[in-house]
Amino acid sequence: MTEEGFKKVLEVRQLRKHFGGVAALSDVDLDVFESEILGIIGPNGAGKTTLFNIIAGFFPPTSGTVMCRGEELTGLRADQIARKGIGRTFQASTLFSQFTVFDNVFNAFHMHYKQPPWKALLHTSAVREEERTMKQKAMELLDFTGLASQKDKLAENLSSGYQKILTISIALATNPKILLLDEPVTTLSPQMVETVMGLVTKVRDTGTTVLIIEHNMKAIMDYCDRIVVLAYGEKIAEGLPREIGENREVVEAYLGVMG
Amino acid sequence: MFVASRIAIAVSIIILIFIPQFASNYVIYVVILAMLFAILTASYDLLTGYTGPLSFCHAAFYGLGAYTSALLTLRTGMSFWQAFPITGIWVFLFAAAVGYPALKIRGHYFAVTTFFFGHFVYLFLLNSRKLTNGPLGLRGIRPPDSILGIDFSSITASYYLVLFFGVLIVGFLHLLVKSRIGRSLVSIRENEDLAESIGINTSFYKVLAFSISAGLAGLAGSLFAHFFRFLHPTDFAWMISEMIVIMALVGGLGTLFGPIIGAGVVKFFLELVRPAPELRFILLSIMLILVLLFEPKGLVGIIRRIRGEK
Repeated sequence: MTEEGFKKVLEVRQLRKHFGGVAALSDVDLDVFESEILGIIGPNGAGKTTLFNIIAGFFPPTSGTVMCRGEELTGLRADQIARKGIGRTFQASTLFSQFTVFDNVFNAFHMHYKQPPWKALLHTSAVREEERTMKQKAMELLDFTGLASQKDKLAENLSSGYQKILTISIALATNPKILLLDEPVTTLSPQMVETVMGLVTKVRDTGTTVLIIEHNMKAIMDYCDRIVVLAYGEKIAEGLPREIGENREVVEAYLGVMG
Repeated sequence: MFVASRIAIAVSIIILIFIPQFASNYVIYVVILAMLFAILTASYDLLTGYTGPLSFCHAAFYGLGAYTSALLTLRTGMSFWQAFPITGIWVFLFAAAVGYPALKIRGHYFAVTTFFFGHFVYLFLLNSRKLTNGPLGLRGIRPPDSILGIDFSSITASYYLVLFFGVLIVGFLHLLVKSRIGRSLVSIRENEDLAESIGINTSFYKVLAFSISAGLAGLAGSLFAHFFRFLHPTDFAWMISEMIVIMALVGGLGTLFGPIIGAGVVKFFLELVRPAPELRFILLSIMLILVLLFEPKGLVGIIRRIRGEK
């Protein structure tokens, strides 16, 4: 699906990452198009999470560039990249576990405040007004992601499915144009997988581009528009779900060489 | 905040206002020291309780503030009222310069770094004889010049001076931790990676918390210098940093008022064993072990349990 007419929102060029002598990524190229759900799959240790960490600025690449809508992201800090409209979740439900569900999301509105910090210190009426607006937005977001009924629970007391949805809600609060989801449905029951992937589709329909790392093949095949396969730090295939399912090299990467 | 807590705060302030009217000079003296330590633990709480990094060098900033303020008034003839704000700003900036590289180190490594930094400051104060008069101590520090006809050389006036600035500083910290800046700090404590992913510049906020916390400790040092009027490096040795950590833990880290209560309670118990100074260390250690074993949230945790919250 590299057709004309689809706007590129993310371009990864010649990305390379070495940890000591280990090449986690070698010369990976990747194009991501507006409003698509792009699945990233590959065996353990293929470099999928490393790719996310570099795009989101959690560590720098050894070489290569990441461009977002013509703007270079490489070299920026993680919080600066978040401000450029790239949201992310982490593997293993990373939450503010001691906060309530509501506070988790309310906190995540951090970068949308317009009132200067010194006014926040004085708790002026404009500041309190702004906080009320943010609380309202947090509530709307919880309604959107289906967590409104859980809002007063501590995050650590949620079921694993709701925790995954909460990690997505936190990322959505930053109002991302591109959302990176790291294993959003791993360990979930089949019904919960449907719920979460339904939410992902809903997010995509609002105009957000979604990149998903996932081991659940059914979720990937059913919901992704396009799939990229990584193995040993290299991109070995790219295409529509149907093409990937029939790709001999991909099957070998997962199952080993057959006969 | 709950109504009960507001009443408790109001009552405590009223009691503090009336203490000098009926208490002996000895009691007033002890309460002044307790209030100074309350400023130290409250400011310490901003960094370690709210933001997360475990620090063992708070007394170093207390000492820097005390010596800076004393030397400014002694060497330049400045009055306390000028030296006091300058001291706060200087310690704030100094801490920012130290904190910027130091806070890149995370976890236990940062804690160890602060431990050695604290000891370094102590050794500096001890060995810079020309500047600080070293182990002989710095004498002849003047009390704050009188304003509005109040003579600050009396112990009662010193008491009210410390109480006044103590309430101001704690009030400032309260506004800070209740604002969205405070929420960002707590987010960093709870999960630094996640905080970054929602756009919080974690290194900036950590250095900010470190510097504000240090600057306020510097102000406490200035108050101490012009009240006690004699400075000795051992007043700022690592044991004092340790005491601040224990006071904050006993009261309950990350609650602001907990560490203040902790400062009062620990100071009270230490005074009880004044005749046998060796017991103080044992007592401190016992308090620390009891808190860590039974209620990591300290006295505030116990109060919350009694009131049936969580």
